[in-house]
Amino acid sequence: MSAPLLQLNSITKSFDAVRALKGVSFSLNAGEVHALLGENGAGKSTLIKVITGAHQSNTGTIEINGKTVEKLTPASAHKLGVAAIYQQPALFPDLSAAENIALGLEPPSALRGIDWSQRRAQARELLKRVGADIDPGTEVRELSMPQQQLVEIARSLGKGARILIMDEPTASLTQKEVELLFGVIRQLRKDGVGIIYISHRLEEIFAVADRVTVLRDGESVGTHPVSEIDKAKLIRLMVGREVAAIYPPSQSVPGAVVLALSKIGCAQSQVHDVSFEVRAGEVFGLAGLVGAGRTELARILFGITPADSGTIQLNGKTITIQSPQSAIDDGIGYVPEDRRRHGVILEMSVAANTTMSIHRRIFPGTWLRSGAERELAQKYIRDLAIKTFSDESHVNTLSGGNQQKVALARWLASGPKVLILDEPTQGVDVGAKSEIHKLIRNLAAQGLAVIMISSDLPEILGMSDRIGIMRAGTITSILDGKTADAGTVMAAALGQTRPATAL
Amino acid sequence: MKNFLRSNIAKHETVLLAVVITEWFYFNSVGAHFGSLDNTFDIVRHSVEIGLLALVMTPIILTGGIDLSVGSLLGLCAILFGKLWRDAHFSPMAAGICTLGIGAVAGGLNATLITWLRLPPLIVTLGTYSLFRGLAEAITHGVDTFTKFPDSFLFLGQERFLGMPAQAPIFILVAIFVWLLVHRTTFGRSFRVIGFSPEGARYAGIPVERRIAMVYVLAGIISALAAIIYTARLGQAKADAGTGYELYAITAVVLGGTSIFGGIGTVHGTLLGVAAIAILSNGLVHARQPREVAGMLTGLLLILALCSSVVPKLFARLRARRQTAAPIQAVKTS
Repeated sequence: MSAPLLQLNSITKSFDAVRALKGVSFSLNAGEVHALLGENGAGKSTLIKVITGAHQSNTGTIEINGKTVEKLTPASAHKLGVAAIYQQPALFPDLSAAENIALGLEPPSALRGIDWSQRRAQARELLKRVGADIDPGTEVRELSMPQQQLVEIARSLGKGARILIMDEPTASLTQKEVELLFGVIRQLRKDGVGIIYISHRLEEIFAVADRVTVLRDGESVGTHPVSEIDKAKLIRLMVGREVAAIYPPSQSVPGAVVLALSKIGCAQSQVHDVSFEVRAGEVFGLAGLVGAGRTELARILFGITPADSGTIQLNGKTITIQSPQSAIDDGIGYVPEDRRRHGVILEMSVAANTTMSIHRRIFPGTWLRSGAERELAQKYIRDLAIKTFSDESHVNTLSGGNQQKVALARWLASGPKVLILDEPTQGVDVGAKSEIHKLIRNLAAQGLAVIMISSDLPEILGMSDRIGIMRAGTITSILDGKTADAGTVMAAALGQTRPATAL
Repeated sequence: MKNFLRSNIAKHETVLLAVVITEWFYFNSVGAHFGSLDNTFDIVRHSVEIGLLALVMTPIILTGGIDLSVGSLLGLCAILFGKLWRDAHFSPMAAGICTLGIGAVAGGLNATLITWLRLPPLIVTLGTYSLFRGLAEAITHGVDTFTKFPDSFLFLGQERFLGMPAQAPIFILVAIFVWLLVHRTTFGRSFRVIGFSPEGARYAGIPVERRIAMVYVLAGIISALAAIIYTARLGQAKADAGTGYELYAITAVVLGGTSIFGGIGTVHGTLLGVAAIAILSNGLVHARQPREVAGMLTGLLLILALCSSVVPKLFARLRARRQTAAPIQAVKTS
């Protein structure tokens, strides 16, 4: 057998202090579909970006067609036949299919005339190769999502792509469209194209892939032919790390129901029929894959995209949450996922950030009172051990963990009844992480109802009293935090079990 | 004292204050009557209208917005004020109050288009810039001029009150109001938050739309006030009143250290910006320089001011890049 199309040897990649890839090796043969599997944040995207040249690896070597590539850039990756197709097709919606295909193929020259008939003929031929029944003259905006994907594949083939990366190509396709796509993939495989296939749907991996590599915490934990592995083993590989017993134990006894959702839905954010209750003193974990609708649910509860169906009850009273202001008035706080864009104002002081959501309460009559503001900020700097030079320092001078504490301080200052934490320890160093965990426990012990969204499975398991699993825009099951383990949570998130109806 | 010096010496406003003082001493030495009380009052009279527009432009730019329509609105309000007084026989007082109301409605139009339809302020106010001026011209058919206002009204623009030009106390009151609004209230705090990050402001529960609406309505009201003072100063109202004033106002605000991207800026900076431009254009006349030089020098001053705020940041970024570059090298070689 000839040299593999693509061979990665001990690739490492670090961002600041975070090591996203720790010595990953990976190979792809001609005419092979190689699936890449892993939890959120396991390093799949980083690996793809190294292959497409978007990121440069720190150490390790890349061989394409048996030749070592010194420095892979997006342009040189293109030339070597690497192409990627993402969930959302990256086409120009106002141009025709033929034009979109031609854009990738024709050498850029401002003065050259356009040979329209040649363009069409070439597009027609490429589209036929991927089995697409599309008129090349159709504007892309009029095509369905799978048709657009086929146009993208055709364009990649036209460019002579030999290594095709498909990142969750079926995420927005119906079952029938998936079958069609698989037909195309099998045809490409026959033509000798190597395909790296990323999906969270395990069935698809068994249906279409030859080999599967599982990534976990930036490391490859094994490559197996799909014929020699089953779903249970794959799930074990994905989650099977030792869960460090560093999580503070739950001490609180859940009290009365604080927040009760009944059939909450919002068409705009594709969330539907969400029902659950959170009690005082309880940490309710929300697990699920990226795109399952967890952040969207939080945005509904915080009034950023208000619910358009269902009812929300707070302490037994039905409330409507129309805006973040009304959510705050009702006693709901939200520490958002994107800390730097939404959680804090980086260019403003710690003190200003702390009081930002309680202007009316701390500044009656709208006059700023810097004494009261600084006093409050000092209190939270002490209570949360925020490492900052002073309360007047701008938040962008703080480390990620301390920025997150400022975001938390803002909501603690508002005295909420319900606190929603969205990935509270993402991008936070280990020390600050365990401090934040302790803090969450203390808040629950004080009678707060906490909803914690996290893609960090050990965190979900270690912190939650109960775990709600979201999948495709709704809560599919609720597990007991004491009995749930990584396998059951991951299986539920992937949709591998019947919805268990535990309370 | 040393700390005080260090924290203030590099501040934009301090530099600008030095520029204003230098300008004053320079023109005082070359121009014959520049430093006289009469000329000082002349400078004040000529800069009150643009100063008012610059004052209300400051909170708008702090939110990351812009209002190009203030000059045109000044023209429209001047015409409507004249119309109400001459044709509808309102007293100047009643006409003035109605004009302020009209200004509020016009500002409300800007605010509605910006917050409800979520259109960019630049485009919205570019539209109303033409709309308001066009209305003023349509009402007067481009020729009608309102004159012969009673002396009691002209007092506001031409006489002295409390030992200063009569419009000065109004300007001082508006300046104090805007300063307090921007620097001492939660509204001002909200403007900055919105300017730094409108999304972040929403997530903090700040009523972003209401705050944005507020600054544009305020700009409308104060533009109307500037129109009344303008009419009183010149003793006439024409459709071309205030042409180009929006650009002078924006120049003064930016010269005063307000970031065009929002979030950063002060009202006293804006006042210094107004003073720097007003002294420059008046002083050049006294120094017997042609008028065009004033425009050139104002532009030069603005570009220099922008450079002075960008260059230190540029150096800081270069230094930061050199520092972060080193450890990456180390990783590669290890």
